[in-house]
Amino acid sequence: MNTAPARSWTRYLRMLAVFYRTSIQADMEYRVDFFARVIASLLGLLTTVGSLAIAYGYTDNLKGWTFAQAMVLLAVYYLMDGLIEMFVGPNMRQITSQVREGTLDFILLKPVNAQFMASFRLLNIWRAANALVGLGLSVYTISRLSVTMGWAQAIAFALTLLAGMAIVYAFWLVLVTLTFWFVRVDNIEQIVWQAFETGRYPVEIYPGWLRGTLTYLIPVVFIITVPATALAGRLSGPMLAASLIVAALLVALASAFWRFGLRSYTGASA
Amino acid sequence: MRYWLEVYRINLRVAWAMLMQYRFAVLIWAVWGFVGPLVSLAVWSAAAQARGSDVAAGAQTFSRGDFAAYFLVYMIFSHLTMSWDAFEFAYRVRTGSLSPQLLRPIHPIHADASYNIGFKVITSIVLLPVWVVLFLVLHPAMPAPGIHLALSVPALVLAAVTRYVWQYALATIAFWTTRVDAINQFYFVLDSFLAGRIAPIALMPGAIAVIARFTPFWYMGAFPVELALGRLSIDRALSGMALQAVWLIIGVIVFRLIWASGVKQYSAVGA
Repeated sequence: MNTAPARSWTRYLRMLAVFYRTSIQADMEYRVDFFARVIASLLGLLTTVGSLAIAYGYTDNLKGWTFAQAMVLLAVYYLMDGLIEMFVGPNMRQITSQVREGTLDFILLKPVNAQFMASFRLLNIWRAANALVGLGLSVYTISRLSVTMGWAQAIAFALTLLAGMAIVYAFWLVLVTLTFWFVRVDNIEQIVWQAFETGRYPVEIYPGWLRGTLTYLIPVVFIITVPATALAGRLSGPMLAASLIVAALLVALASAFWRFGLRSYTGASA
Repeated sequence: MRYWLEVYRINLRVAWAMLMQYRFAVLIWAVWGFVGPLVSLAVWSAAAQARGSDVAAGAQTFSRGDFAAYFLVYMIFSHLTMSWDAFEFAYRVRTGSLSPQLLRPIHPIHADASYNIGFKVITSIVLLPVWVVLFLVLHPAMPAPGIHLALSVPALVLAAVTRYVWQYALATIAFWTTRVDAINQFYFVLDSFLAGRIAPIALMPGAIAVIARFTPFWYMGAFPVELALGRLSIDRALSGMALQAVWLIIGVIVFRLIWASGVKQYSAVGA
């Protein structure tokens, strides 16, 4: 357990800079991968846009969403997917395999907050492919909707994106903590992705029970729909506040669960 | 024949033991297959509702119940025909774990195919009640069972074998490059549009609808589905199965050619 004395913010920021710098240095070895990823990302986008375009060929409106609005949602989906794969995914996968191999001990023994170390140690810059594709699509769709981007709107968008990332992080951290007790669940992240996948499309198209699940149980709405609404300049103040509160609450709960899990963690190797 | 039955019997036992060890993980993968078809169903149900009438293209019409039937049958058939070797194989080449498999007297495809069959048997038993519930909840417009449904069984088996062989041929590209992400994604795009995964082929814009029915993708995907739903004539069903057989044979030839030259230039990684 972490017994280090309270340290200043600057120390953690310096550490974060070192973590990310070394991660980027390591990633430089795999440059060519990036182009393959961009191509894969664009092909994936082609499939989703195509499937929506075909459906919109038979109607100009799906449950109140025009094609252009649905595109904004898709853009945010890709952006969020890229950000999660860059910042959250590598760390969460690392913890899962460290629990299995018993190397989590090395992190727990370091004189820093274990959750900080486990959550921010890695950064995968090549996974930015989806984020870049999402960013490009965001700019394009916003220009088509003839929305002018003001500062307030840009800040609201950034805040809701951060809140969305924090919510995904909280869910993933809970799943990762579960591996302290059930080691053999390597693909547990698929549960997160299955819920996330549904966020590509307006939540209104789903039947009531699923819509409820995606709003309250796994708040995909806060992960994708709310940032997309912010990007389109239609976000209300209370909604922005709700998104930040939900994110803060879930991160707090997940952190408490992580600390509870750590108490029952026993190393897997000698 | 007896020899191969014995080979598969033993491989299946091994596969069964391996799958049982990872029951939970296996189940998560199996449920993964639900997401795509159900999302497509939601999109098309919304489209049918927005129009206030059936979605029609040419001679084919789809009501909400028809979409439910199409995507539910597609979900089950897709589960029974799926293969993931294209992803698995590159990993094995990269880590060098392929090497011991190459040293065995029997081609690795047989152990993999057994594992594939074992996976489908186990997961289908577990998923069966879920499928039943989905049928009860989503009210698909299913035609009365008859000759079409019976014919869809051999069509489904042919689709599964054909897809397996083509995917394995694709997997073998990993002998040259282990960065197969973009290649697999390209295959997935073709599969989505041409196999009727994201929408019934009849609803595709003109050119795609025509081209798709000549590609192997449609025969590995939507062909048995449309057959089971009585959307194809008996003549079309029989000629379709003949074409499935043709694509299977071409697949086997392509696979053997790629494998023969790939294995020659494969050099092991790892100790």
